[in-house]
Amino acid sequence: MESFEVLLKSSADAHGHLCPGQVVGVRMAMLGCRLIGLTEPRRHDQIKRLIVYVEMDRCTADAVAHVTGVKLGRRSLKFMDYGIMAATFVNLENGKAFRVVSTEEARDLAEAYAPEIAEKYPQQLTAYRRMPDSVLFRVQQVRVKIDDCDLPGPTRYKVPCSRCGQVVRDQREVIENGRMLCRPCALGGYFSEAREVTWPDMNWKPENGLTQSRKAANVTETNCY
Amino acid sequence: MLKKIELKDAVGTKLAHDLTEIRPGEFKGAAFHKGHTVCDDDLCRLQKMGKNHLYVIDLAGDEIHEDRAAAILADALAGDGIVWKDEPREGKIKLLAGKDGLFGVDTAALAAFNMVDEVMCATLHNHTLVKKGQLVAATRAIPLIMKKAPIDRAAAIARQTGAVLTVKPLRKARVGLVITGNEVYNGLIEDRFEPILTEKIEALGSEVAAVAFAPDDDNLIRDAIRSHLDRGCDLLLLSGGMSVDPDDVTRQGMRSAGAEEMYYGAAVLPGAMFLVAYVADVPLLGVPACGLFHRITVLDLVLPRILAGEKIGKAELAFLGHGGLCKDCEECVYPHCPFGK
Repeated sequence: MESFEVLLKSSADAHGHLCPGQVVGVRMAMLGCRLIGLTEPRRHDQIKRLIVYVEMDRCTADAVAHVTGVKLGRRSLKFMDYGIMAATFVNLENGKAFRVVSTEEARDLAEAYAPEIAEKYPQQLTAYRRMPDSVLFRVQQVRVKIDDCDLPGPTRYKVPCSRCGQVVRDQREVIENGRMLCRPCALGGYFSEAREVTWPDMNWKPENGLTQSRKAANVTETNCY
Repeated sequence: MLKKIELKDAVGTKLAHDLTEIRPGEFKGAAFHKGHTVCDDDLCRLQKMGKNHLYVIDLAGDEIHEDRAAAILADALAGDGIVWKDEPREGKIKLLAGKDGLFGVDTAALAAFNMVDEVMCATLHNHTLVKKGQLVAATRAIPLIMKKAPIDRAAAIARQTGAVLTVKPLRKARVGLVITGNEVYNGLIEDRFEPILTEKIEALGSEVAAVAFAPDDDNLIRDAIRSHLDRGCDLLLLSGGMSVDPDDVTRQGMRSAGAEEMYYGAAVLPGAMFLVAYVADVPLLGVPACGLFHRITVLDLVLPRILAGEKIGKAELAFLGHGGLCKDCEECVYPHCPFGK
């Protein structure tokens, strides 16, 4: 694994800015990997051995993903919407798993570790670099049961929704009175009032190239079904 | 885990912890010690102490008793120059100075340690001069029984930079004094700096190896500094010439003597115009004229730290600001006051 400073720089570049959450995330990932025995998590031979559960969608989550190389689309990054500054690192090879929790007291201790800096975020940025892992984190050894349908690899399960016809992968369907339904049909979705629409230049494809004037898809009531 | 039993059923069981008795204005201490086997004769006293139930301990594999926890914590907190005995009283272990010297506290590590639930450590102030055997800190775990993991984490936090608590002995310095000022050099007034500085130096176990007088001339001040260094002085104190007057050239003298690092100004009153410089590893302390008037000044805060081997720079002088205001009491009781704390 690269050094902390190198990882922090590349993580901040990828994330868009350097912030205290980046420092915590980079260190959280370095510690998590160390605990489960992965030295080069992004290397080909190790990348398939790692799954990380992040429990927040904040700056720290990006840093954890950057350092470990886990990705949502590879199914190696799992987002658990707990709103907790924590991540669990699972070694699929031996089942070892550690949940690394960022301590709340680290925020209160920033002033003690960087007393020469008055402003809150610069102070946290420096203090979180100076604190040892023992102050910045609490660690729990945990057991994580991963179902087949959550593992990386080819799609194993597909069923069509018996109401809307949409194919549902990975056993995310809901069984209602013996019928397979997609979640939006069974439980309602995060969206509402869905109406299918058309949009300008509907027949564009990549081989048409950049010369085609790409118009903003100003969808109006007139071209809506 | 703890099991609660009624007092009448406690005869024959061993006490799980010290039982503290407080008789206002008369006594506070352990009436019964941990491990004491309760007998019939004890029941009446225990009832008078308000005890109708007692705990019996049944430790799980991942649990730890407060006495064992206190020993783990004390071991982690104690660095060089700190001694302690594994003899907890009412769950507390006292940490003592193992030698005369300057007591040091890693205040950030102490704060982080105390942020861990269920543990505590209270100390004297950082940079307190202490004598061998003096109580400098005490630690304990708060509950009678707790999980071992947080205790181990607190111990790791305590060890983050080695240890939270230390006592560093003061080195015996060969001090060179340079008393500056035309008025003294030309005999217009009698110098009073030399006896004052000598007393402070000797009180800390060092000796004045050489004294030189110099007028307000940076070349002659430089020569005096050089002469002291050549004679093997390993700490120099320069008095006077520290303010902003055109005649105050002590700083120029230090610079031309080879002082590379120079920190002028301390967040302390009295002593704002204090100066710390270094020629190679030898500290040069510029003592402003307030040292003649006030019994205690910034010098009393910095000198022990210099003798304990601490490098004093800009940050150290700036951090003195909080608590760096002398109340100028009619009767000075330093160090038993907030100055420098």
